[in-house]
Amino acid sequence: MNIQFKKGVLELCVLSILDQKDCYGYELVHNISKSFTISEGTIYPLLSRLKKEGYVITYLEESIEGPTRKYYELTESGKLVLHTLKEEWKSFTNDVNQIIEGCVGYE
Amino acid sequence: MNKNEFMNSLKSQLKAIPENDKQEIIYDYEEHFRIGLNKGRNEEEIVSSLGNPKQIAKQFKANYRISKVEEKFTIGNFFQALFATIGLGFFNLVIVLGPFIAIAATLFAFIIVGISLVGSGLFVAIISFFPDTYHNVPSPLVGILVGIALSAFGALWTIGSLYISKWFYLLTIKYLKLNLNIIKKRGLNHD
Repeated sequence: MNIQFKKGVLELCVLSILDQKDCYGYELVHNISKSFTISEGTIYPLLSRLKKEGYVITYLEESIEGPTRKYYELTESGKLVLHTLKEEWKSFTNDVNQIIEGCVGYE
Repeated sequence: MNKNEFMNSLKSQLKAIPENDKQEIIYDYEEHFRIGLNKGRNEEEIVSSLGNPKQIAKQFKANYRISKVEEKFTIGNFFQALFATIGLGFFNLVIVLGPFIAIAATLFAFIIVGISLVGSGLFVAIISFFPDTYHNVPSPLVGILVGIALSAFGALWTIGSLYISKWFYLLTIKYLKLNLNIIKKRGLNHD
């Protein structure tokens, strides 16, 4: 996948995953890496910005199997942003699909 | 690279960032290593999948500079945000800075000219008092009048230049604020 493209959608992916359940950083990276490769370290600058913007909050939780984890939780304003980003993404991919599938009506 | 080397490199790149934020960043990567090791990966594997610490630090710096200029808009903060995003490899410095420096230098020259005129006028007026020492002064009265006129013109010129400079400053801020959104979008999406 194109690098610039991937960077733009990383935020959308992170917010979407957090909308389903609270995650810790390592877990987020792991989930996203299943779909496409990212430099894992870049998730933390993104998370730190999302926190500063008030889209996520964090809390610490002990885990049974090992070290304490910092969980990220989506806030109401984070949900709003996610909604907007999702709509943008859908309309964008829809337009692109129409072009690449040749459904726009060129002969 | 092992964990220590990675963390040291990251820390050394984060000097510009406030202590609290820095501690939090360090914590996040420490946690990442702890969990990774706990899941049976070794330090080298984790480091190599984390990526280049310098690149990571650049993103934190860009975040920080952008949040700072949003908090308080000054030309200084703006340029620091600009430089931090340039660090991510986006802007051609010359395009942005060229015209700005040219205009600023011209205005600075105008102000210097004005101040020099005031100085010269005063000088002429003063030496007119000593017709015996300075023989090229036609008459003290003419000399003093010419001196005062020159100084007054210089003063007006300086005040005019200062007004233009102030106007240029305000215009620059307006223009930079417009650009801030672009910088923000590009800088932050480079995650």
